[in-house]
Amino acid sequence: MTSRATRTSRATRGRRATALGAAVALLLAGCGDDGGSGSSDDPIVVGISLPLTGDFSEPGKGVQRGYEAWAKITNDKGGLLGRQVELKILDDQSNADRVVADYEQLIGKDNVDIVVGPFSTRLVVPAARVAEEYGMLFVEPAGAAKEVFTQGFKNLFYAAPAVADDHYNHLAEYLLALPPGQRPTTVAYAAMDDPFAQGTAYGLKAKLEAGGVRTVVDEVYPPNTTDFSTIAAKIAASRADMVVGGSQYQDGVNLIVALQQLRYQPKLAAFSTAPTSPEFAAAIGNKTEGILAPTGYTQKAPYPSNVEFVEKYTAQFGSPPEEDEANAYTTGQVVAAAVTAAGCAEQGECQQKLVDWIRGNKVETVVGPLTWDATGKPQGAHMIQQWVGGQIQIVLPTEAKEVDIVYPKPAW
Amino acid sequence: MPSGALLFQSVILGLLLGGLYALLAAGLTLYFGIMRVVMIAHSAFLILAAYLAWWSHARLGVDPLLSMVVTIPLFFGLGVLLQRLLLARLRPVTLTMMSVLLTFAIAVLIEGLLGYAFTGTQRRIQLGYGSASIGLFGARIAVVKLIAFGLAAVALLTLYLLLKRTRFGWALRATIQHPDAARLIGIDTDRIAGFGFGVGLATAAVGGTALALDTTIYPSLHWHWIGPLMAIIVVGGLGSVPGAAVAAMLLGLVQSLLQIPLGTTWAQTVFYLALFATLAFRPQGFFGGRLAQRF
Repeated sequence: MTSRATRTSRATRGRRATALGAAVALLLAGCGDDGGSGSSDDPIVVGISLPLTGDFSEPGKGVQRGYEAWAKITNDKGGLLGRQVELKILDDQSNADRVVADYEQLIGKDNVDIVVGPFSTRLVVPAARVAEEYGMLFVEPAGAAKEVFTQGFKNLFYAAPAVADDHYNHLAEYLLALPPGQRPTTVAYAAMDDPFAQGTAYGLKAKLEAGGVRTVVDEVYPPNTTDFSTIAAKIAASRADMVVGGSQYQDGVNLIVALQQLRYQPKLAAFSTAPTSPEFAAAIGNKTEGILAPTGYTQKAPYPSNVEFVEKYTAQFGSPPEEDEANAYTTGQVVAAAVTAAGCAEQGECQQKLVDWIRGNKVETVVGPLTWDATGKPQGAHMIQQWVGGQIQIVLPTEAKEVDIVYPKPAW
Repeated sequence: MPSGALLFQSVILGLLLGGLYALLAAGLTLYFGIMRVVMIAHSAFLILAAYLAWWSHARLGVDPLLSMVVTIPLFFGLGVLLQRLLLARLRPVTLTMMSVLLTFAIAVLIEGLLGYAFTGTQRRIQLGYGSASIGLFGARIAVVKLIAFGLAAVALLTLYLLLKRTRFGWALRATIQHPDAARLIGIDTDRIAGFGFGVGLATAAVGGTALALDTTIYPSLHWHWIGPLMAIIVVGGLGSVPGAAVAAMLLGLVQSLLQIPLGTTWAQTVFYLALFATLAFRPQGFFGGRLAQRF
């Protein structure tokens, strides 16, 4: 969500009339065949509403590319149940009222076989409500916020490894499994007053506290904070074994430098978002060694379908996929797995079969194996990356690691 | 109860921060003193100077401090032009009000151009000595913060000497104190005001460079700075450079110390509480500054 938030601000610049043209073209392409009859020659029509114009147009187009890559890769392999996959994409103009009308149209009028989610939490909830009314399966690529899972949706599944609170689960497990002598005993937390950034840090805090690791500093700062020296002084004075930053970008970087200026040397330093940014090393230089960060998607993840995804996506679009593209692709993979297992893809009773199958099974995706609880919340965790040997590499979970985790981390 | 070491460290950090605030606010109070201009774009010029320092370091490989050789004269020139070509055209009756609108537009323009030229990516100058620090009785003083403090001290001292010891300074202060009387004794107040504005903007070149040494910068960062800086110059007494410096040091120190018991969110409100208290009880400011009384 963080990366999305920053992208949103860039996205406002990207309004182009051409996007409307593209949306119309897609709409026409989608109208080529009226799906829903379920006969073996008809394509499986997947209905989607995306913000192709307006505030979310930039990430919206990323999600669109992810869906397109999924459709192409699936069709190149012979489609689903022997039928081709066809996307029908409407432009919701980043407008929550529009998104409701779009899904009403897709399901009621266009009679699509499957619907999948739009982009951004704001639009996921109203869209999911429509899908729920029609009894449609609703797998969605965005919407990590708590509200999505407290609405009582029964058909919704979030196709990503974890919500913010669970990003650090692999790290918490690793730390609590260490022998008592090596385990960090005290931790300092500093988090931005932002649901996503704070969620990551507090998720780890809850787990470590439950495991008996003491919290010695718990600082929350507003998003407009520019001076981090006093927060750093409080953390340094606590001599905590470990420091955790619920950060976005500039706050994480400024805090890390301020800690280094005070010669504070923790055994472990974990910060969300900032360390995975390409600009991070340019800002901090050679003092990044050992810094940890959770990450939802990386092109380097070794899952078999990811290797295929990165290669074919790059061939199709000319550059490797980012997180938005990967989340959409993951959504497609979840739907495909359900359709293949249930042996059907049309409105009506089939939808419940698809929902039941996903509820009870594990799906292998580009972000790793996914399972869900009753509210549709994914049960996974983010991979943990660490700066090792001058580059950021996957260290946890063990089955996905590129190198071993370095703990205690070297001095910075 | 915080430990003595933490308190001592926070006092040092507060003083260093206060020094930076003093430098960043110096120009702002000068513009107001010279011609009752509320210069919303001052912090945008700070960020512009910070970007030029970053750019000269990242692209040309020179130390960011050297960028001032170019930015100080450049900003001085820009300041003179800005005053003569734009601000001098505003009608005296509505000058203060209209200057807010005009300089707001300039701030937005600079922000847009920075985004266009350097993209919205957040940048930081990567210095070999960026995280170096020296010890002082158990506390640490970051080298970059010390340099920034030094820049502030040199710039403010130069400004002080310029105003007190040179004919230009006398003329400028005469213009500040009583423009009509200054004209009567033969001072070309228009020209002096232009140069004065240039001097104010030149401090932004120094301030921006100091800021860039230890901050991650992005085009919209200036909005975070203008509020506290405005509060500082009101508390210090509008138009008074020493007043602004004292207020800046004090507020920086109080902010840093309040952060220990209250946390960052509440400590930030010290600027606005001070602003509120000043306007309510002593609108002319607590340190010097007789100018605001004329409102």
